Amino acid sequence: MSPFELAAPSSIAEAIALLEEEGARPLSGGTALMLMMKAGVLRPPRLVSLRNLGLGKIETGGSLRIGAMTTLSALERSPEVRNGWPVIVRTLRRLSNVRVRNVATVGGALAHADPHMDLPPLLSALGARVKLVGKGGERTIPVEALYAGYLETTLRNELITHVEIPPLGKRGAAYLKCTTRSADDWPAVGVAVVLGDDTRIFVSAATDRPTRIAGEAAIAGLKIEGDLHGSAEYKKHLVRVYLRRAIDEARNAVH
Amino acid sequence: MKRATQSTETPQVGRSVPRLESWLKVSGRAEYVHNLRLPGMLYGKIFRSSVAHGRIKRLDVAAAQALAGVYRVVTSKEVREVIPDPYYGPAFHDQPILAIDKVRYVGEPVAVVLASDPHVAEEAVHLITAEYEELPAVYDEVEAVTSKAIVHEVLRPAGTFPDLKHLKDRKNTNVALEFRLRRGNPEKAFQDAHRVFEHRFSTQQVMHTPLEPLVSVAESTESSLTIHTASQSPSFVRIEIARLLGWPENKVRVRVPFLGGGFGAKLYIKLEALVSVLSLITKKPVKISLTMEEQFFTITKHASTFRIKSGVSKDGKITARECEVWWNGGAYADIGPRVTQKSGFTAPGPYDIEHVAVDSYALYTNLPPAGALRGFGIPQLVWAYEGHTDLMARELGIDPIEFRRRNLLREGRPQATGTVMKDAALEKVLERLETLMDWRTPLNRGTGTVKKGRGIAIGFKACVSPTTSLAAVNVNADGSCIVYCSTADMGQGSDTAMAQIAGEVLHMAAEAITVVHSDTDVTPYDMATLGSRSLFHMGNAVKLAAEDALNKLNVLRKELGLPADCPIPDIFKKKYGMQAGNVSGTGSYIPSYKSPDANGLTDNATPFWMVGASGVELEVDTETGKVGLTRLVNVADVGTPINPKIVETQISGAAIMQLGFTLHEKMVFDSQGQLRNASFAEYKIPGMLDLPASMVNEAVVAEQKSGPFGGKGVGESGTFGVSPAIANAIHDAVGVRLTSLPLNPESIWEKLK
Repeated sequence: MSPFELAAPSSIAEAIALLEEEGARPLSGGTALMLMMKAGVLRPPRLVSLRNLGLGKIETGGSLRIGAMTTLSALERSPEVRNGWPVIVRTLRRLSNVRVRNVATVGGALAHADPHMDLPPLLSALGARVKLVGKGGERTIPVEALYAGYLETTLRNELITHVEIPPLGKRGAAYLKCTTRSADDWPAVGVAVVLGDDTRIFVSAATDRPTRIAGEAAIAGLKIEGDLHGSAEYKKHLVRVYLRRAIDEARNAVH
Repeated sequence: MKRATQSTETPQVGRSVPRLESWLKVSGRAEYVHNLRLPGMLYGKIFRSSVAHGRIKRLDVAAAQALAGVYRVVTSKEVREVIPDPYYGPAFHDQPILAIDKVRYVGEPVAVVLASDPHVAEEAVHLITAEYEELPAVYDEVEAVTSKAIVHEVLRPAGTFPDLKHLKDRKNTNVALEFRLRRGNPEKAFQDAHRVFEHRFSTQQVMHTPLEPLVSVAESTESSLTIHTASQSPSFVRIEIARLLGWPENKVRVRVPFLGGGFGAKLYIKLEALVSVLSLITKKPVKISLTMEEQFFTITKHASTFRIKSGVSKDGKITARECEVWWNGGAYADIGPRVTQKSGFTAPGPYDIEHVAVDSYALYTNLPPAGALRGFGIPQLVWAYEGHTDLMARELGIDPIEFRRRNLLREGRPQATGTVMKDAALEKVLERLETLMDWRTPLNRGTGTVKKGRGIAIGFKACVSPTTSLAAVNVNADGSCIVYCSTADMGQGSDTAMAQIAGEVLHMAAEAITVVHSDTDVTPYDMATLGSRSLFHMGNAVKLAAEDALNKLNVLRKELGLPADCPIPDIFKKKYGMQAGNVSGTGSYIPSYKSPDANGLTDNATPFWMVGASGVELEVDTETGKVGLTRLVNVADVGTPINPKIVETQISGAAIMQLGFTLHEKMVFDSQGQLRNASFAEYKIPGMLDLPASMVNEAVVAEQKSGPFGGKGVGESGTFGVSPAIANAIHDAVGVRLTSLPLNPESIWEKLK
């Protein structure tokens, strides 16, 4: 890993200013960033820690408002989340491992834009929105609008500060993933389903970003490429199987 | 340190003594080379080849050398100023310390940057550039036999080990060794057979993944060298470094503290020659610690192809067997020729077959080198012959356990080499597996998209021979005891086992005995900690040394007119007038051995046999091909367990490791020989969630009469049966046969659809 400067600002404005340097990267949990730096894929001269920005709170009042620096395990253990959005807790239990969940953050999990991650499709299906802050002000967009492609976001030198998830109510919801090597592998396929008047289905991992589909018929149109997890044909087949299973699980989900 | 002193009335052998080093490990005080820092030490980072086979046309290190903080950049040119002929290896002197003229695989070390800050060294590595004239490359072990791409133009045998003395000088071939065995008249037996079956199986290249990556430190004066290294073979390191430098052995000191796992990765020379020469060039201590990922480019397990053919009589007896095995050794032979030969002669499996032909080939290819990995090739062979056995039983309509029992080698019967089976509990292991699997009760077959199946497999291994172990036991004036041996404790619990053996002889609690770790200036010679040989060989040497010490104490008692039960401290007080002096016992052990003849036959191939069998119950998801193990039963013959708890964890650890090699792990190369998954995000070893819901690990009641207190090796036996048992169970569940590893869901789905 190449040497870097570590800054730890205490305001969002300061953080955004520090990120103006060429190649500077924000640091949240660091679980993905550090691997990329160790592999030499990223060689940032400066890391800007978001630790002191006061973004670690989980607030509920109908909808769920999560600070971007909330760790995945804080989310997993929150009684409010367990009561109102149990599908999130079920998903987190099989997201990587407890060591990663203890440091990885919700904002980081969204901003990394690796299509193999579990939260982007799930939060997209839940209709969540992210609040973004940049030099020019702030805006709020749906989670799925964050993604432009593999490891590519639509962020414009902005930081994710919060995620807001509307109430799930009694709607059935499920997220299922299929790993084709070890159980803690990146998935070959992820499918998130939230049933209701406007049923929301998102496919991930097999696609280069979380992709909304209307139903099984739309799978044929998905752009899926083969990789180390499986061939394109196999992954397309897995999407079909897991979509049916996710819908079944969502129907039978107990609140 | 908290160390309970147990009653000496308790027998030491057969007691589950908690590991002696547990306190040191859990309190973070166990010594590892990884933590070693010496004053003025430089860190080395390696620049590696980006092509699979090529001539080095240009190597530009100027920018790296110019980077602030870089002490020096070293290439093979500087290496040769210290060591003119810098090629090493246990079988052939084929591996250069840094690439000379040619590179032979992607990832081969070409240059090293030295700096007092490892991050600076790493940064500078990125500034080195190289140009290669690419040469045709070969990756497949079967193609390597006839390929025009030649990895080594010339081969020079090392001549170090007695079992590899027959290796020849060779030119313009990728075949490092062919092992041939002929017994009876296979050709005629095939003609006479009622049925003939032939199958082809293959295995993939995988890695050891020890928790502690390879690491070595060297410090030097003009005429002496100390190497601190995570090595399984300190004595070999000393001899090989002394040979390279043309120095006497006593000028090279090799120290090995604890190892964080080895599994065969840390054998022979890995980083030791490189840090030695770097320390001699710079006159400073030099340390190289590989990253986890660099290990993919250092040492791996052989990929293999195995063609197996059997003739069977009307009554279900196997009468003839033909085995052809190709071992993908990668760019440097390492210990591949031993794998080829030692595994080669057990390729026909643990069956009583009159007519046998074996051809086993060690091949060079342009892939990272392959060596020993927990089984020395045996798991690759069992994978094939036990899949083959199951397929035949199925075709013949005979129960798989019954078919095996009908053909199993019995005690006193000659194995393929002609060596008679002795203390090999094959029947007992199979019988115990049958009971533990509740084999006679039909299995619930599952419903809907979940189909259930079960399968078993049994394998055996001959311990490598002939090899030597020496040990010393020192009894101090207060009656306390120290054992000196060069066996590396890499997590297998050898310190505890050796203390138990010495304690059993001397009537002392194992917990009160100190075991000194390998230091070639202090501890006597040992061939290496490999192939499950240490408990038997070093155990015998420690036992002899302890008996020697005990005998000397008894002689002293007699000389001094003391009663036979006189406590040890009183002997020394009487002899020296105070608490002074000590008694040293020594022991050396080498079993008898006879080299195979031109037909691969010998009546003394090995000092002992290891037996391992596994049974699996699993579920297959017929829509996705995903496999879930519900039960894994592993049974082994380990002789008399010296430490039952350690035996159990060794069996389970080996089986879980093999589970990864069976279901998930595979080094994936592209058409240019580039490794596509050189990270642990893409190379998946099993985690807790991959373990079977239920697991049984058992050693049968047995005795190795020539072993110390009836014991023998256990480190590898748990690996033997796992892969074929799983494939056999998948076949049982869904009627699909896979013949290459790993058994991934897509390959099952492909056959199901």
